[in-house]
Amino acid sequence: MSAATGSVRFTRGLGFSLLALGVALCASLALGAGDVTPLQVLRWALGDDDGNVGFVVTELRLPRSCVGIVVGAALGVAGNLLQTVTRNPLAEPDLLGVSAASTTAVVIAILLGASVTTLQVWVAVLGAMCGCALVLAAARLRGVGDDPIRLILAGAALKGVLTALVSLVLLVDQRSADEIRFWTIGALAGRGYGELLGVAAPLLLGVLLVAYLSRPLAALALGERVASGLGHRPRLTRWLTLLAVALLSGVAVALAGPIAFFGLVVPVLARALVGPDIRRTLPLCVLLGPAVLLAADVVARLLVRPSELPLGVVTAVIGAPVLVAVVRAHRLPRL
Amino acid sequence: MMQRLGARAGANRRQGPGPGPGGTSRSDLSPRDAWLLRWRGHSLLLPRRSLLGLAWLLLGLMMVFIASLSIGSMPLAPQRVIAALFGSGDPLDIYLVRELRLGRLGAALASGAGFALSGCLLQTLTRNRLAMPDIIGINNGATAFAVASIVALPMSFAPPMLALVGAVTATALTFALAGGVGVRGYRFIIVGVGIGAVFGALTNLMLARTSIDAANAAFPWTVGSLNGSGAGAQTMLWIGLAVCLPLAMASTRGLSSLRFAEPVALGWGVRVARLRLFALALAVICAALAVAVAGPVGMIALIGPELARRLSSHRSVPVLNAALAGAILMALADLLGRTLLAPVEVPVGIVTALVGGPYLIWILLRGDSPRAL
Amino acid sequence: MLARPLGRFTAAILVPIMLLFTGQALAADGQSRTLDTAHGEIQVPADPQRVVTLYEAALDTTLAVGVEPLGAVATRGGTDVADYIADRAQGVAIVGGPREINLEEVLRQRPDLILASPFLADADYQRLSRIAPTVVPKHDAERPFGDDYWRKESELFADALGRHDRIEAVFEALDQRIERLRQQLSPEGDVRVTLMRWNPQGPIVMSDKVFAGDLLRRLGFVAPEIARTLTSRPHTDMLSLENLGRADGDWLLLATLNAEGRDALAAAQRQPAFQRLEAVRNGHVLTVDGQLWTSAAGPLAAERILDQVEEKMLGEPAADIAAQ
Repeated sequence: MSAATGSVRFTRGLGFSLLALGVALCASLALGAGDVTPLQVLRWALGDDDGNVGFVVTELRLPRSCVGIVVGAALGVAGNLLQTVTRNPLAEPDLLGVSAASTTAVVIAILLGASVTTLQVWVAVLGAMCGCALVLAAARLRGVGDDPIRLILAGAALKGVLTALVSLVLLVDQRSADEIRFWTIGALAGRGYGELLGVAAPLLLGVLLVAYLSRPLAALALGERVASGLGHRPRLTRWLTLLAVALLSGVAVALAGPIAFFGLVVPVLARALVGPDIRRTLPLCVLLGPAVLLAADVVARLLVRPSELPLGVVTAVIGAPVLVAVVRAHRLPRL
Repeated sequence: MMQRLGARAGANRRQGPGPGPGGTSRSDLSPRDAWLLRWRGHSLLLPRRSLLGLAWLLLGLMMVFIASLSIGSMPLAPQRVIAALFGSGDPLDIYLVRELRLGRLGAALASGAGFALSGCLLQTLTRNRLAMPDIIGINNGATAFAVASIVALPMSFAPPMLALVGAVTATALTFALAGGVGVRGYRFIIVGVGIGAVFGALTNLMLARTSIDAANAAFPWTVGSLNGSGAGAQTMLWIGLAVCLPLAMASTRGLSSLRFAEPVALGWGVRVARLRLFALALAVICAALAVAVAGPVGMIALIGPELARRLSSHRSVPVLNAALAGAILMALADLLGRTLLAPVEVPVGIVTALVGGPYLIWILLRGDSPRAL
Repeated sequence: MLARPLGRFTAAILVPIMLLFTGQALAADGQSRTLDTAHGEIQVPADPQRVVTLYEAALDTTLAVGVEPLGAVATRGGTDVADYIADRAQGVAIVGGPREINLEEVLRQRPDLILASPFLADADYQRLSRIAPTVVPKHDAERPFGDDYWRKESELFADALGRHDRIEAVFEALDQRIERLRQQLSPEGDVRVTLMRWNPQGPIVMSDKVFAGDLLRRLGFVAPEIARTLTSRPHTDMLSLENLGRADGDWLLLATLNAEGRDALAAAQRQPAFQRLEAVRNGHVLTVDGQLWTSAAGPLAAERILDQVEEKMLGEPAADIAAQ
């Protein structure tokens, strides 16, 4: 494919993603589990002021959508980074146990009495870092290309252990049990600007890292020698990538809890749109992540009105077919 | 790796005293660490290490058996345990030993053997020591169905039976979606991980939406516990083991060929594709029956075979030793769980995960020779 | 029967399994009475001395009729019996948690009567009933929280203890107190009271058929519609914050298993939708102990709940938080 058609494709992909995000955002503002209908929202937007509609849109749906945008972008980018650095199409924060490590850290923090949101964010980031370090140390960073399944097995096994650890916490301290029960599955309900403010610092750090990393990572995709020849340091790049993944998934967990398969779905979509180059897929993930997440959240709100489904259930159900498709699409020698 | 080709004789020990396939006299090739038995023209090669391991494991099994029956909230001296076992002594002792402890010990031994056998087969199949039934959806499927029977459906369905149905459903789904086993079962495993995640999410959803009473009642099924195992499920598991274990032992020779590159196995005349399917089927059956008894207990399928490999010849697939090791570990874990925080019982699944977790992390971090099976 | 050692070993494994279905309770001697339970008619000792309760309501009833049980299970959300009853049940051994019963601990108490929850698993019943007569109240799967369900349970437990007269007297006193309090609280009727539990993702509203809700209803309070229409479940699903208005009322009772309840209240107050509720604006929000209000049942718990209602809702509203 020539560079020219590549850039046309990128522009098209970008346009499509923007459109998708716009539609998802509108849906997220217009639809909900409550009685406020899209028509009422439209009338309110046109200036027909009704206190209740205005309240629902600006105080409930808008903050929640903002949190959804941040979570979606963070998880989409984290998935993309992980897949690039491990060269494994299945690498994803949730499958590899990174989210589980983060959740476990938060649960233990709750147990120890931390209820300040800002503290929880750093605990979540710390937990994600441990998870990242463990799983990727297991995969040895170097030799990962040759055995993609090892990474998945390591992640799944780690997840199992961490789940049991949470169960033990619940057994020992039943007073926390009731609260933690709801932490083990991701959701956006009830999150707002306060939580966003709490994660601002790690989020900013993660964004800066990602901005710096896109070029070295693209070089690394060409092979270590090429990357070294271009003046990049592969080892440093990998560790910084891991740091970025930990920051972003920690932020996502602190905001919404563990959200299954999300980091898998979004990069697959992005690659389908613009090809494998990470310099192109990254911006797309930033747009597509929120679009998919908001869409899933709207589904979660509408399916069981007047209550809501947790978001993590919806993404797991969406993500599993994508996982199957990825596994089946790859040539057998690799999988 | 290739110089181990001569090792196939080591896998013959369970072929019984008949001429093994291709069974010309190979005594000149017999490795030094094996005993060769000859009887009227039949020969049997017994790997010394595996037999010694077997002896150790049987000894351990005996000790765990006595300890599990003696130790508890009401400690009993071993002689009283034995008397009670045979029906003499205080009726209370008899009840305690025969019904409470023996039933529970039986569940522990059988389910531990089932999990470990399943893990051993899966690890051989995938040439990966991290492959476990816990992570390919079998456990999560069973949990989801058992939890559903408690929190969502009328009480008339017994959770163990539904756990079995769940395990089978998850496996069937995985099989259908993966479109077969795939090379080394990789595709099957990854699709299984995905199916497991979906079932896990559904379980969490049910637990989050239900009342705290029902969530409490379902708790044993989410971590794995031997407290309330049903007699029917246990009988089925024993029958399943009685069928699967000999079958697995009979196919150790073929199984050990799976550890080499496919052309090697084909060169031995092993029908690789069929054998893979067979091994996978055995693994799934064992795990499904075990999960119906004990719930989703993790890590036994990792540690049991690992221990067995340390106690066995490197040249064979130690299915029998793995099953024994799993049984011992499970009974030990349950004993620990019953006594550590008494009177509160720690469910066996939590004990195995906490003991197995650090071990798993050690395997991950050490990272050498992931395929050294 | 089986002489060879191998045969004996097999028998040792198989016999208990068979016995499970045919067995007789270990402790069944002396005078007995017949009782109608979920598992059919069972014989209980005329004057049980060694009682183990495996259910919060059974412990409450047992203490209320003046019997000190030997063992009890820990309450939901705790590692000991519920706080409200702790000082009356000091000598009681813990024989398990709300999730699993420790059968050996039960056996160690050598009980002659076991009082269990209507939700006891069948496998557990089979084992327990071999230890001692096990009383399991009948349970209507269609309408588990029918009229007076918790009173009927208490009466069954009291019958099992041979204290039928005591429980009649206790309930009569309770009814008189409820009637007095009702006239003081809501002379005109239709005071709307919501009992809810606050979770991180949204509240659940407790049904007005389940124990505390039932008491509030008898006191003349009216629960929100979403709680009144629940038939077979103890509480609603988690409400979406957009629908929080459906849980509004004149009074809001926020139950938390954490006795202090500050965290849950603080979490709720951070939500703008919570701040808009009428009860919140009027400062009519009370935090209550979930161990008592949402987990317990029985005459003693009822008295404590009435105490708290009297103390906090009668006369000048002494709200936990002021209107903002």
